[in-house]
Amino acid sequence: MTLFRAIVLEHFRHPRNRGPLESRNAEADGANPLCGDRIRVQLRIDDGVVADARFTADACALCIASASLLTEHVRGLRLSDLGTISDSTISTWLEGDPPAARRKCALLPLDTLNRAVASRAAG
Amino acid sequence: MTRPHTLIDDLEAAESESAVAMATLVSATGSSSKKIGARMLVGRSGRLLGAVTIGGCVDAQVIEAADTLLDSGNRRLLAISLDDDEAWEIGLTCGGTVEVMLDRIAPSDEDDPLVVAHAVVSEVLARDEGAVMVTTLDGPAAALVVTEDGVCRGTLGSDESDVIAAEIANEVAREGSRVEAIAGRRYFFERHAPPTTLVIIGAGQIAMTLTKLARELEMRSIVIDGRDRYATQERFPSADEIRIGMPSEIVASIPATKRVAVVLVAHDYKYDVPVLRHYLRAPVGYIGLLGSRKRGAAVHDLLREEGFTDDELARVHTPIGLEIGGKSSPEVALSILAEIVAVRNGKRA
Repeated sequence: MTLFRAIVLEHFRHPRNRGPLESRNAEADGANPLCGDRIRVQLRIDDGVVADARFTADACALCIASASLLTEHVRGLRLSDLGTISDSTISTWLEGDPPAARRKCALLPLDTLNRAVASRAAG
Repeated sequence: MTRPHTLIDDLEAAESESAVAMATLVSATGSSSKKIGARMLVGRSGRLLGAVTIGGCVDAQVIEAADTLLDSGNRRLLAISLDDDEAWEIGLTCGGTVEVMLDRIAPSDEDDPLVVAHAVVSEVLARDEGAVMVTTLDGPAAALVVTEDGVCRGTLGSDESDVIAAEIANEVAREGSRVEAIAGRRYFFERHAPPTTLVIIGAGQIAMTLTKLARELEMRSIVIDGRDRYATQERFPSADEIRIGMPSEIVASIPATKRVAVVLVAHDYKYDVPVLRHYLRAPVGYIGLLGSRKRGAAVHDLLREEGFTDDELARVHTPIGLEIGGKSSPEVALSILAEIVAVRNGKRA
């Protein structure tokens, strides 16, 4: 088994930060309309810093692993630093590139997190 | 959501009639396939009203007796033999006897005890609750409705009879309709239960047929998917509800009762696992998962890791459906509904 696959399965079986965040002050829903992945990312943002991040999802293993890793890594980051997270960052966390056909699954959590931050800024 | 069809709907359809004969199948012996509680409304000149029929060889005799009833007004219990010498000789007889209660009803008479009782049952069913209706089989028409929580509406004529009938109604609610005697008089105890609600996860081809057949079986259907291009009104014209979103969140908003049958036909673990996580400890009447034994075992393993017990996992029917050798989507849908009906009727665990 490749390291990439082992990491995906580990985070799918034991996802970090799964479940609602009661103290949230920012959130967004995301979906991959054709494959049916559904995710919600909830954040607690204090003084421009991500104080807490959690997610809820009915999604594939890759999407859940990506969300699990993302919520682990963004905690404590300044909002201004979130822009440094890209698809290659996620590949680094996953120890490998997702198959081309599955990139949307891996990137859905990041896209949803960015929209959650934007909604907070807009609000 | 669709309100269950009741006799009140048929009586409303028959409102232009001054009186109709209501035939109710109250008992059957032998090999009759007729369902206890089946009904037929007959107008003048044998006109059939509403959507209820008793069916088969019984109908003709009931229609004939209805004319007499509408003229005389005397309610009566018909005992009809299903044996027929000629049919017997060629082996085509049903065999046995059925009893059919014939009542004269004025559809618009709000004081008629039978009309009142059926209106009460209709209200109860609309609340997604069940009730037992008790009616006299001899003497004047009288009716008592006993709801699931023991509340009685109407009367059989005496407090004593009502109390005993309410006790028997508790058993009937569990075991099904039947005739019982109280103090030498016979009564028909008729169980009315709300329809099964089919919660379908996955808006694919099997789900499309499931909603069509569910309607024929008087089940309500709710189609759930995260993909709005699949879960459309155009694809599911027979569905009572179509809900798009995160399936595990949507199912959490649907009351989980023994009348709910959960059908997982997305064939996708991303929905199967979280939805099962919700239902394995919920008191629903049926859970079925599409897929091979191998796939079912893999899903079980994932959930077992999370702490679900073997008893909880054993509630999941997988491979889903009765084994009828079906391969096409409609055939699979048929086998699923057959299994749900079998479980509901206690013919399958």
